Amino acid sequence: MFTIAPLTKLILTVFVTIWAILLQSIPALTLLITCQIIILVSTRVDIIVYKGIASLFIFAALLAGMQYLINHDTILAVVTASKMIAMTLVFFILLATTRMQDLSAALVLQCHVPYEYAFMLTAALRFIPDLLAESKAIQEAQACRGYSPQGNLIRRFFSYMAIIKPLVLKAVTRSETMALSLELRGFGNRKVRSFGNKITLNARDYALLICMVTLTSYLIIHIN
Amino acid sequence: MLELRKVHFAYKNQSHVIHDVSLTVTPGEFLAIVGRNGSGKTTLTRLIMSLIKPLRGDILFQGNIIPHCTPAKMAHHIGYVFQNPDRQIFHDTVTAEASYGPKQLGYTPEQTATFVNDALAVTGLSELANAYPLTLSKNQKQRLTIASALAMQPKMLILDEPTSGQDARQRDQLLQLLIKLNKQGTTILLVTHDMDLLSACAHRAIVMAKGHKVFDGTVAELFQDVLQLNNWGLTEPAALKISRQLAAVDVKPTTSISELSHHVATLFRRG
Repeated sequence: MFTIAPLTKLILTVFVTIWAILLQSIPALTLLITCQIIILVSTRVDIIVYKGIASLFIFAALLAGMQYLINHDTILAVVTASKMIAMTLVFFILLATTRMQDLSAALVLQCHVPYEYAFMLTAALRFIPDLLAESKAIQEAQACRGYSPQGNLIRRFFSYMAIIKPLVLKAVTRSETMALSLELRGFGNRKVRSFGNKITLNARDYALLICMVTLTSYLIIHIN
Repeated sequence: MLELRKVHFAYKNQSHVIHDVSLTVTPGEFLAIVGRNGSGKTTLTRLIMSLIKPLRGDILFQGNIIPHCTPAKMAHHIGYVFQNPDRQIFHDTVTAEASYGPKQLGYTPEQTATFVNDALAVTGLSELANAYPLTLSKNQKQRLTIASALAMQPKMLILDEPTSGQDARQRDQLLQLLIKLNKQGTTILLVTHDMDLLSACAHRAIVMAKGHKVFDGTVAELFQDVLQLNNWGLTEPAALKISRQLAAVDVKPTTSISELSHHVATLFRRG
């Protein structure tokens, strides 16, 4: 997956999203999820990705629970949760196997997204590990002041404000500093940009794209 | 009060950062931990606060083994002041911010109010009790974090680089506050790079180098061997450097700026 062009992976995210919307049966969605997990395992991604996936499954289970409480329909609840997992997993594949610079280059050169917007996206993604580290540091700081979330969900939610508030303030301050530093270094002054990244599509990418289009066409025809 | 027995620790996928460190802290002591960046100073304090668990060895606080505790339980006994105050401040007023800890520890509203008022008075923040914490200066924020820790009635205070990013006047204010707290009976463990701060307030110093405790003794003993000090990545306090260079004109070596200025003034008076 690391050697596949970023554009192919971007297109894959779009197609997987379409497939997740089109598929309505639990076995088909399970197959889609399994295939994505096999891809992730075969690419030997970092352990942190698996932790993220575990959180995704917990969140999906909560979503299924809520759906069941509202509609009392087990199949609908499982399908909704499976669709969410399938749609999100593909982003894990994209982000875990693509360098931010390559993604940015693909968005600008091949998708013709203005550089400012592509930069905004990649900068936001780059913030995630920083925010996770910051969140851990804040949790430690508050733990040293007796923070220990206990009690029911509402109580835990309010006690979690001790983490959320400093984290949000820190993120806002950080983004302000970053914006200022970018402005001071003339960000956006160059109209024509050059990229040194190798993002061109090769024969394997074209083959994958043909497979994706064929599968989507089959699904649309089959469902109609 | 606090005892570390052959403590060993390593982070995941990293070489060992703390090697068989043993030390004892007695009540009322003012102890400083110094060393280069990455020498294991902060890791040692994180182990004491139970934020991380040792791979080997025991950490005992008042006879109880700490690794069985959580940081929230340790907060009953030890106040930890982090280097970056912005990581903990989240309330709308200084009073509310300082009240968070005592409330979490289960003190009654009356007790909380008393402890917070006392802590704000000691740290000189009483006049700012209703101020919005995020508008305070770095020094005031740092004092607020100290007040927040003191309001929890700890027996011991750990401060990690409390003077970073502060100007000379703010540093002096903090120094006076720490001396005052220690005189009032609070045991203080200070992690610092600031040798002037160390020489001005600490009774005892511990030097960490590559995860090992390489020195444990009085501050005067620490500054005896300048070459060794430099090998550990440390420098002498400015006053000691100047006074040693003035040894030829009968100025006694001292780590205190006021003592040095007194010596120099006497020298000038003598002509």
